[in-house]
Amino acid sequence: MTAPAMAPPPGGSVGTGPMRPSGDIAMLGWSLDAGPWPAIWRRFRRNRGAMAGLVVIVAIAAVSLGAPLIAPYPPNAILDMVALKSQAPSLAHPFGTDPASRDVLSRVLFGGRVSLAIAVLAMLTATTVGTMYGAISGYTGGTLDSVLMRITDACLSIPRILLLLTICALWGRASLGSLVLILGLTSWFGVSRLVRGEIMGIRTREWVMAARALGATDARILFRHLLPNIASPIIVATALGIGNVVLLEAGLSFLGVGVQPPFASWGNIMQDGADQVRALWWLSVFPGLAIVSAVIAINAVGDGLREAADPRQ
Amino acid sequence: MTAPQPVPAPNPLLSIRDLRTVFPTGAGVARAVDGLTLGVEPGETLGIVGESGSGKSVTALSILRLIRPPGRIEAGSSITFGGTDLATCDAESLRAIRGRRIGMVFQEPMTALNPVFTVGSQIAEVVRVHERTTRQAAWGRAVAMLEAVRIPASAERAHQYPHELSGGTRQRVMLAMALVMHPALLIADEPTTALDVTVQAQILALLAELQQSLGMAVLLITHDLAIIAAVASRVVVMYGGQAVEEAPVTELFAAAHHPYTEGLLRAVPRPRLPNSPAARLAEIPGSVPPATAWPAGCRFHDRCAFAWDRCRHEMPPLYAISATHASRCHLAAEPARRTAPAPTAGTPS
Repeated sequence: MTAPAMAPPPGGSVGTGPMRPSGDIAMLGWSLDAGPWPAIWRRFRRNRGAMAGLVVIVAIAAVSLGAPLIAPYPPNAILDMVALKSQAPSLAHPFGTDPASRDVLSRVLFGGRVSLAIAVLAMLTATTVGTMYGAISGYTGGTLDSVLMRITDACLSIPRILLLLTICALWGRASLGSLVLILGLTSWFGVSRLVRGEIMGIRTREWVMAARALGATDARILFRHLLPNIASPIIVATALGIGNVVLLEAGLSFLGVGVQPPFASWGNIMQDGADQVRALWWLSVFPGLAIVSAVIAINAVGDGLREAADPRQ
Repeated sequence: MTAPQPVPAPNPLLSIRDLRTVFPTGAGVARAVDGLTLGVEPGETLGIVGESGSGKSVTALSILRLIRPPGRIEAGSSITFGGTDLATCDAESLRAIRGRRIGMVFQEPMTALNPVFTVGSQIAEVVRVHERTTRQAAWGRAVAMLEAVRIPASAERAHQYPHELSGGTRQRVMLAMALVMHPALLIADEPTTALDVTVQAQILALLAELQQSLGMAVLLITHDLAIIAAVASRVVVMYGGQAVEEAPVTELFAAAHHPYTEGLLRAVPRPRLPNSPAARLAEIPGSVPPATAWPAGCRFHDRCAFAWDRCRHEMPPLYAISATHASRCHLAAEPARRTAPAPTAGTPS
């Protein structure tokens, strides 16, 4: 709990010295050594599947981030259109090369940065929007709540991939930033329902009344008192949502409306070999493995978090 | 931060007039508080006592307009505090009074603290809600307040979470939160009901001590006459959403007028002396009627041993027994009837 960097006050006058560093963080209310988090981490660590998932996703994220250092070639380097076109995996090119003679291993590594970054940023957008929307709906209640929730119901009833294809088709060539927005703004409906339910469950607690009795405004009650209490379900939903967005982005990129060249993403590497899947199997298998292992790992972490956050299960 | 200007004694700090708080329910409109009038003088301790369902907690919540919709305070009610009508003022004026000029302590210290924040941060937050100040300054005030409520090693305790503290300590923290702005009035709704008796005594002693040092008035709500006797200077007895008797505490215990108050006093268990006969604890027959259907006339008449026709048809006003003592009972007008209880009245069996 106490920061190790801070020397104990001389003379051992515990308690009369300045406040501990962690106090500052605790006052912000989002400290991780606070409230339920140490217990959640303890339970999470005992969950082997979740820990394996954590290791895998951290490894994938690390090699993706380190792509410029690790990758043998630049992702878009055309090596030799005659001699190195569509080569099967070999020692020189472990994942083979694509029809433009680019090194697939390098493209998968760089594609990981794009795919993971889009997924994380899109889900952060979705969580932010969904949390605000659901929190206001659940806290206000009444007619506004009914209207807002009917809107999310309507959005949830449209198949996601159809919605995305339509938006991307109308958008034209979407930049990476636009893709983050498109994916983020179509992924918050579930989060908003979750947050709304959680807020409704705790808004009548006595400590909410006590905070109001001592002069807290509605905004302060909502953002400082209620939301920190439901941080764990929100974080779990975000983790699980990231896996989902990885899949959606891969699907869109494979269909040609997602990440556009020159950027590599796991989905559009597969697209490069889509017309000759049998002949150029390495163009599907390696990015496919990357997608599958990342999604499984993310979901394992998300499930592990959920179980750790809710020990009743 | 400056202490409120002393107010002349007959000028109450808080003045509730004709408070009516109602809750629409499936079974009709529950008139939980129905025409309550009372005043709290600066620096005094006014006790409100009554059974569950008498309207005492709803009164406490009404003062700070904490009634959750669809419950509401009816038009015509007024709750005047320092020149502001809390029943009708705008939300921002009300918010500035909550926690700053009027503090409030709730019954359940287990559930009235936010589980994910340290107690120090919860007290500091009250300061920061009302004053522009730095985190450090607010934290310092929180620690000082924890010390004021006699929590040892307050600087360390401030870093603890509610679940790490005992019930009594949590109630001290609640007191610290309610008092950190040095309010002129503290509303304490059953502040010790959830605590062990010994802890109860400590909290009450602390409350009395803080009241002295801060010079504040206390509105103490309880069902426990022993607590009233120990700390209150004046008492309002509530029944059926109304004040049925109001008196200085010594006068109430020495010469209660209303049959309901008499019943409450008789229902307090007393130790039996070795050779005295076994006495059954006196109870008040029946129970508080539902707030959706108060009886006509006197609301206590069907539980009262003295009730006669007048009680069934005519709601008694608050009769003045003396300058400081009032009772909502027709016996004040017809004292002769007290000696001859009507045999038809509700009798315990």
